[in-house]
Amino acid sequence: MRYELLDKPDFGMVKVAFEAPGEQLVVESQAMVARDSGVDMSTHMRGGWMAAAKRKVLGGESLFQNTFTATAPGQALWLAPNAEGDVLALELDGGSDIMLHSGAFLAASPSVSLDTKWGGAKGFFSGTGFFLLKCNGTGSLFFNSCGGIHPVDIGPAGYICDTSHVVGFTSGLNYNVTKVGGLKSLFLGGEGLVCRFQGRGRLWISTRNANALASFVHPFRKVRNKG
Amino acid sequence: MHIEIGYRPAQAMASVSLEAGESIRAEAGAMVGMSTNIRMQTGATGGLLKGLKRSFGGESFFQNTFTAEEGPGEVLLAHALCGDILSLDMPEQGLFIQSSSYIASAEAVDVQTKLGGFKSFFGGEGLFVLYATATKAAQILIGAFGGVEELACDGSLVIDTGHLVAWDATLDYSVGKSADGWLSSFFSGEGLVCHFRGQGRIWIQTRNPQEFGHAVGRLLPARER
Repeated sequence: MRYELLDKPDFGMVKVAFEAPGEQLVVESQAMVARDSGVDMSTHMRGGWMAAAKRKVLGGESLFQNTFTATAPGQALWLAPNAEGDVLALELDGGSDIMLHSGAFLAASPSVSLDTKWGGAKGFFSGTGFFLLKCNGTGSLFFNSCGGIHPVDIGPAGYICDTSHVVGFTSGLNYNVTKVGGLKSLFLGGEGLVCRFQGRGRLWISTRNANALASFVHPFRKVRNKG
Repeated sequence: MHIEIGYRPAQAMASVSLEAGESIRAEAGAMVGMSTNIRMQTGATGGLLKGLKRSFGGESFFQNTFTAEEGPGEVLLAHALCGDILSLDMPEQGLFIQSSSYIASAEAVDVQTKLGGFKSFFGGEGLFVLYATATKAAQILIGAFGGVEELACDGSLVIDTGHLVAWDATLDYSVGKSADGWLSSFFSGEGLVCHFRGQGRIWIQTRNPQEFGHAVGRLLPARER
């Protein structure tokens, strides 16, 4: 399987070219843009309905995922996320795991396992539903975000990131959710809560977040009087 | 201070590298990420009165000051809406900035709200204006909704208030209707415009945030008051 990332970073799309019949890709529901008519599609709840329900309820991923299977070499598949923004691809080698923020998953090889992890009690207060999708195994992984995706390599000094801008990180990193500055900053500084990362690894940050866009549009909605 | 802007134009984000002891002041909510040795302090810049004035300007009442302590550090800053970011060297005469376009500025930059009275009030579309001045070389970060274009005003120019981002303070400006009569101004859909006179640069954004808000907002279910 070969792939190309198109229209980066504003409107990223993945073009996959299968090289052999039987090659597969597991794709988030609704992410398919186009495919050669010879590519088979099957819909299922991956890992059984319990695992799928957990992914849906906790991870923000869809209940169903689609598996695309090539029937001949050279067949193509195009994938895109729902929001405007970038798509990244990683080759997992079975070493470090990748933790993805809910909603960031786009597609993966079937040999990559996906498991939903509780982001910690502190994550609850971040207001962003800090559940994480743990991806491990070997194969390709595609993920996306609102806005551009900015990588930060974290060394011994650690790093601080706004909770609503975390896209994913390698499993060598630990984090806790804290406020930044004093209490005054929490309520008046507009920065809310941050993730404080420690350890060594790579963090991916999005340059935009959907909550901020929704907050901008909200006042423009019509107003209904109560009663 | 060294500023790099990546992911242009639509998803622009500014990486600000600070030397030890250096500071940058940013609009509340603009911080995306930062080094652990950056100290963030929240304050009503210029005291409470100035802060109040700023909140009238549509800019957040409180601003955050980010300072690198014990060595260099970085701060990542971005706007909520999609669009480009401009990093400008402060000109001698200062800059006027449409208040919602302001992102951040070096500590040497003084930012005041211009209470333009009726003149600004009738600008609608949130045309509250900030006046930025600096006593020494300093940079300011300005965000646009959509792309950003620099226009040269040589004599006079008319700009839709919703597309205005910033302009040189060497220019005279006044807000008025777009056509001769109120009725044709209204029906032209162009509403209010800013008339510029003189010589200087004007930066415009290729999309109008208010128009975008109305276009999407009316498609959404009504909200409770």
